[in-house]
Amino acid sequence: MSNLHPQQRPDTFQNSSSQRSISSNSWRASVDFGSKGVRHGSRSGNDSEGFSMSRREINDDDARLVYVNDPLKTNEMFEFAGNSIRTGKYSVITFLPRNLFEQFHRVAYMYFLIIAVLNQLPQLAVFGRGASILPLASVLFVTAVKDAYEDWRRHKSDKIENNRMASVLVNDRFELKKWKDIQVGEVVKISADETIPCDIVLLSTSDPTGVAYVQTINLDGESNLKTRYAKQETLSRIPEKDIISGLIKCEKPNRNIYGFQANMEIDGKRVSLGPSNIILRGCVIKNTDWAVGVAVYAGRETKAMLNNSGAPSKRSRLETHMNQEIMLLSFFLVTLCVVVSACAGVWLRRHQDELDLMPFYRRKDYSEGKVENYNYYGLGMEIFFSFLMSVIVFQIMIPISLYISMELVRVGQAYFMIRDDRMFDASSNTRFQCRALNINEDLGQIKYVFSDKTGTLTENKMEFQFASIAGVDYSGEKTEVYVEQGGYNIQVDGQVWRPKVKVQVDPKLLQLSKTLNDTKSSKEIYDFFLALAACNTIVPIVVNSSNPNEKLIDYQGESPDEQALVYAAAAYGFMLIERTSGHIVIDIQGERQRFNVLGMHEFDSDRKRMSVILGYPDSTVKVFVKGADTSMFKIIDESLNLDVVRATEAHLHSYSSVGLRTLVVGMRALSVSEFDTWQTSYEIASTALMGRAGLLRKVAINLENNLTLLGASAIEDRLQKGVPEAIESLRKANMKVWVLTGDKQETAISIGYSSRLLTSKMSQIVINNNSKMSCKKSLEDALITCKKLIDVTSATDDDASSVALIIDGTSLVYILDTELEEQLFELASKCAVVLCCRVAPLQKAGIVALIKNRTDDMTLAIGDGANDVSMIQMADVGVGISGQEGRQAVMASDFAMGQFRFLVPLLLVHGHWNYQRMAYMILYNFYRNALFVLVLFWYVLYTGFTLTTAITEWSSVLYSIIYTAVPTIVIGILDKDLSRKSLMAYPQLYGSGQRKESYNLKLFWVTMVDTLWQSVVAFFIPVLAYWKSDIDSSSLGDLWTLAVVFMVNIHLAMDVIRWTWLSHASIWGSIIATCICVIIIDAIPVLPGYWAIFILGSSGLFWICLFGILVASMIPRFVVKMFMQHCKPCDIQIAREAEKFRNSMEVTRSGEIEMHR
Amino acid sequence: MSNVTTPPMNPNSSPPRKINSHRPTYSRFTQQELPACKPILTPTYVISAFMIVTVVFVPIGLASLFASRHVVEIVNRYDDYCAPYGSRSDKVRFIQSDADKTCNTTITVPKHMKQPIYVYYQLDNFYQNHRRYVKSRSDQQLRNKNYENDTSTCKPEDSVNGTVPIVPCGLVAWSMFNDTFSFSTNNNVKLPITKKGISWKSDRDHKYGKDVFPKNFQNGSLIGGAHLNESIPLSAQEDLIVWMRTAALPTFRKLYGKIEVDLKAGDTINVIMQNNYNTYSFNGKKKLVLSTASWLGGKNNFIGVAYLVIGGLCFVLAMTFTAIYLVKPRRLGDPTYLTWNRSPAGH
Repeated sequence: MSNLHPQQRPDTFQNSSSQRSISSNSWRASVDFGSKGVRHGSRSGNDSEGFSMSRREINDDDARLVYVNDPLKTNEMFEFAGNSIRTGKYSVITFLPRNLFEQFHRVAYMYFLIIAVLNQLPQLAVFGRGASILPLASVLFVTAVKDAYEDWRRHKSDKIENNRMASVLVNDRFELKKWKDIQVGEVVKISADETIPCDIVLLSTSDPTGVAYVQTINLDGESNLKTRYAKQETLSRIPEKDIISGLIKCEKPNRNIYGFQANMEIDGKRVSLGPSNIILRGCVIKNTDWAVGVAVYAGRETKAMLNNSGAPSKRSRLETHMNQEIMLLSFFLVTLCVVVSACAGVWLRRHQDELDLMPFYRRKDYSEGKVENYNYYGLGMEIFFSFLMSVIVFQIMIPISLYISMELVRVGQAYFMIRDDRMFDASSNTRFQCRALNINEDLGQIKYVFSDKTGTLTENKMEFQFASIAGVDYSGEKTEVYVEQGGYNIQVDGQVWRPKVKVQVDPKLLQLSKTLNDTKSSKEIYDFFLALAACNTIVPIVVNSSNPNEKLIDYQGESPDEQALVYAAAAYGFMLIERTSGHIVIDIQGERQRFNVLGMHEFDSDRKRMSVILGYPDSTVKVFVKGADTSMFKIIDESLNLDVVRATEAHLHSYSSVGLRTLVVGMRALSVSEFDTWQTSYEIASTALMGRAGLLRKVAINLENNLTLLGASAIEDRLQKGVPEAIESLRKANMKVWVLTGDKQETAISIGYSSRLLTSKMSQIVINNNSKMSCKKSLEDALITCKKLIDVTSATDDDASSVALIIDGTSLVYILDTELEEQLFELASKCAVVLCCRVAPLQKAGIVALIKNRTDDMTLAIGDGANDVSMIQMADVGVGISGQEGRQAVMASDFAMGQFRFLVPLLLVHGHWNYQRMAYMILYNFYRNALFVLVLFWYVLYTGFTLTTAITEWSSVLYSIIYTAVPTIVIGILDKDLSRKSLMAYPQLYGSGQRKESYNLKLFWVTMVDTLWQSVVAFFIPVLAYWKSDIDSSSLGDLWTLAVVFMVNIHLAMDVIRWTWLSHASIWGSIIATCICVIIIDAIPVLPGYWAIFILGSSGLFWICLFGILVASMIPRFVVKMFMQHCKPCDIQIAREAEKFRNSMEVTRSGEIEMHR
Repeated sequence: MSNVTTPPMNPNSSPPRKINSHRPTYSRFTQQELPACKPILTPTYVISAFMIVTVVFVPIGLASLFASRHVVEIVNRYDDYCAPYGSRSDKVRFIQSDADKTCNTTITVPKHMKQPIYVYYQLDNFYQNHRRYVKSRSDQQLRNKNYENDTSTCKPEDSVNGTVPIVPCGLVAWSMFNDTFSFSTNNNVKLPITKKGISWKSDRDHKYGKDVFPKNFQNGSLIGGAHLNESIPLSAQEDLIVWMRTAALPTFRKLYGKIEVDLKAGDTINVIMQNNYNTYSFNGKKKLVLSTASWLGGKNNFIGVAYLVIGGLCFVLAMTFTAIYLVKPRRLGDPTYLTWNRSPAGH
């Protein structure tokens, strides 16, 4: 967001409710939004709704009818929700069925359930009842406990909310009522600093003009005050005495917190209502003694509650790949089952005539009178059954528990990201936020970073820097002296009032502004600062300071630019001290002056300017206009003073080339007749029911012309701390950084230089066209130039060979969504840096889509304002900056943080770790489960293919719950392949994630081959060692259980890089836990394997087997690992060695490799 | 191999805390800076690891082989010569008939055998681990006489005529091995066989009830194997206890008894067998095995060979890696190997 007003807000004077929607529509036409819908009540998306609504009368079918102060009639049909809220999902009775129902929505649980149900069929009962249900039950139980706890907390907070008190008009008297009892149609009175209980339409306030100030921090996080208005028709009524009755017809409840469309029939008149007439639940009334309103939406139908939806859900790239490998694993599973059932069929067929008498088969049942087949349903059925049984036995081949482990690991990773001290922004007191829990590991694979400029790269804290007044440039040296004296202040009732923010001033200009006289230049300076102080929507609020004799004036407003200008004006002695809807009071060099505000045209992004009509005390009327240079020079009467205009233009150019934001101010005196014409047309326009916004705009355009140029201001939006370093790191990490901004090209380029995005060595390609043909031509030229440049310099240093592309929004209109896109992509992918200036919000999304749809590379978008929402949602990973511009971007983002520079630790450190951990964890889980299944499978081949398991059923169930579950999760959360220091010092290490080094199909196959070898070792060493011995199956089963569990834990231990006490505890603890479990199982006399482990443990052969298995199974893995480590070391390996033997690092090429602490 | 790194204390560890600050409380845990040991396998460690395996495995392998060599084992397959020659159906008819099934053979002791000499019977191709078979038993019933009727898992050998429960029920008990062996030396001196203590003590004490007596056992129309003395409790029926420990693999041995005298090399032993057990119906083999035992169990060279192979392999690997490290040395942490240093235009 970069223009004059960061957001196009609906809270305007005089109900100009849908002006802003015009602009949103204009860029909607140029860029298609793509396939993704808009989540949440995002401003940009919903603007279009407001747009269509303003043109359409509310249809009776779509309307909700609210009879003011008549809740009975309003609620006759019982169709409106009461005001009690319930965010809790369950009650005591519904908890079990509903929670189970919700849990079974997940595929993993369905799989468990189907397997468990299959197992209950008597023919298929592989496991006992208890053992078969245990995995499912334990997962369900854990989740249910978690859900129940969360729900209990929600219930608790609901209860507090519902029992808050508000005063409600009952029988013409205000009485206290619990929030939950408030009904739609009732009249509610709210006093200062109270929270609004439901969405109300303002009727009257303590302010005679019907203004109420509200704080919406609970709703959208914006702390500045917003103004809301009661309608002329109602504002003078006092509800107790003067009964208001009327009918409000408003739209059905929706989640758009910035839009409201309704009309009110009162006293036979029809009044239209807009978003500036409604106060939403959760807002707080400030600076207003009381406000009275009628409830229109209550409880769950309030906009706040409707917006109460969870974080977006995305699926990570790694998980998508993992699902492909899981398909492979299912294929393995089916293969194993087919092999087993086919062999079983062959075996049965070959022994067909022996089956009746075979002591270990005994097909015939002689026990009951007649002889019949026992549990034998014919060859075909037997094959079918053995297929199903093998599915049950080999079920964990598909590592369903992996999904649950991954969730836990991500929660753990998110915990660490949130707690990271180095991602805490002390200035705004915000922690890192992890809103999406599914894509932590995507942070390690980002290739493209799309960044907004204002508020993202810059602080969005505007500082007035220079002024050009009537062609004179005041950009001299700044002095601090004046600031130290405390700046400009005034005396009010013996108290000192001073502006809250101190501004550095130009001494020359200060001197001039102090000595006002009748000279021309002095007048110009007067008008200029008056325009700065008056032409805005800033509300001054007097707050106490630490010094009792001193009060501070806090300028509250939505645009940081305006704030900066007003503070600047105050510093030069033009202090705005009061604003109501009708007048403003400005202290000019110690003299209070009152101006009537006769009219105001709000900023809109189409006009790109705003104007205010001031009535002077001497009853002259002047209009002041302030806006972007492009829009202002069109309406300035150049004939008046051409030299001044030219000089100002030159100043503007020099300001913007050092990265300053510029605004131009103009003025015109209005004659009485002009003013009258304007007033009539304005009144007609503002009361129009149809197309009000368009009409108002027309009125504004008619007024804003033939202006005298007063001057221009330059505001600095400083780069955030650490941005240049951050961008350098990102670029070193081989990420392509694109900056998308609404700013002018010069500003964008200068910011590009100061943020080290552009360097002087780079060659720049600028595309700046306004027709499709010329776009095509410059794209083609650019491609050729680009190829040449890269060819020529490819051998030399990187920076010289890199090309920066600078393209503007107008050109993009002709390129995006046409066949030129392909060329732009080709060009952009060759460029190291891309700067897009003057782009509209949806174009930002279009640019992200350009890359996302054409490459496999991961994209990340970072921004802070409502205009970045579409881009954030479009990118694979969306990051919101919780900064000055409200919470829209944060609400739509997957991750949110306070500063741009945190992107570096987020991606290079946490992203890297998360990716490495998750990638390893997935492979390890595949291995772990497949190993166990294969060991079971080999045994089945020795049992006449009958799915017997030597390993007890309890051990097979506990295998993935107790024996091996904890270490993989702990390691997945805690292991670090490299220290934060190395990762930050060598951003290139990030490349391993971009190259998918830790998880790919090749690694999967390598892992599977390793698994096969390990399973062969684990199975056949005991078989051959105990061949022709009197070993019983329980003992051999225990040996296999222990061998497999030891193996998977030692396998994990071999790969652990950082051994903390937690890793030790989990790995060795698992082994001990397994031993304890096996001992407990073998101490139950009614199980066939009673005492087997003790007998086994006392024999030497057991220990020798176990030891041999562990060593033999790990040898190939160890050899390959060591060989690769030595001969083909990956970057991570080298960096790890360097970390360990730090001394050896110093001998290297300076600059590139140095460990800085 | 391992050193514990101590990360520098964070300077912000105790910042002046504002009221209501959301700053995460600093701890080494939350900052992922727990003290940790980060082992790196340097060439020395790798080679030493292989050498250690060699040094450990080769002696164990040799010891195992030595132990196995010292075990004297006599295996005598008798199912073939104890039955009339002819087709399988003849043999099945023979074994099912009431004919005298006594069978004699003599065994020559090849080497001095020290007592105790274990007498095993070995069955081949008998799937004691078959799913239908292993499930057909009731461990509750074996242990507690109050659970006599707990035969639901024992089908198809659960009850007589569907009403009276069989104790012990199930296919496993029903198919109990019932060949008998008696040994005598050349001069007709009987060699006593101890059958006491051939089962696990834990089984006798806890798994089989002292007050559970066989009932209705082998009363059906189809006799599967041995009969049990109904006056002896299950806990004392050691043959049953041994049989009920189902074997892990289709070729298995079960302990029949122990001969507690030494046998000298060249001794001939006469064996009188009752060849009652029907393995002919499924082509199973029956063997009589006399074996001494070592600390490793019976005669089996596999473990010894396997350990020697692993040990040898690790020696070869140790040498190979030494060669690799000598021929192509790489300084640990050498930054010239980094991808971005190897290819300058690798950006």
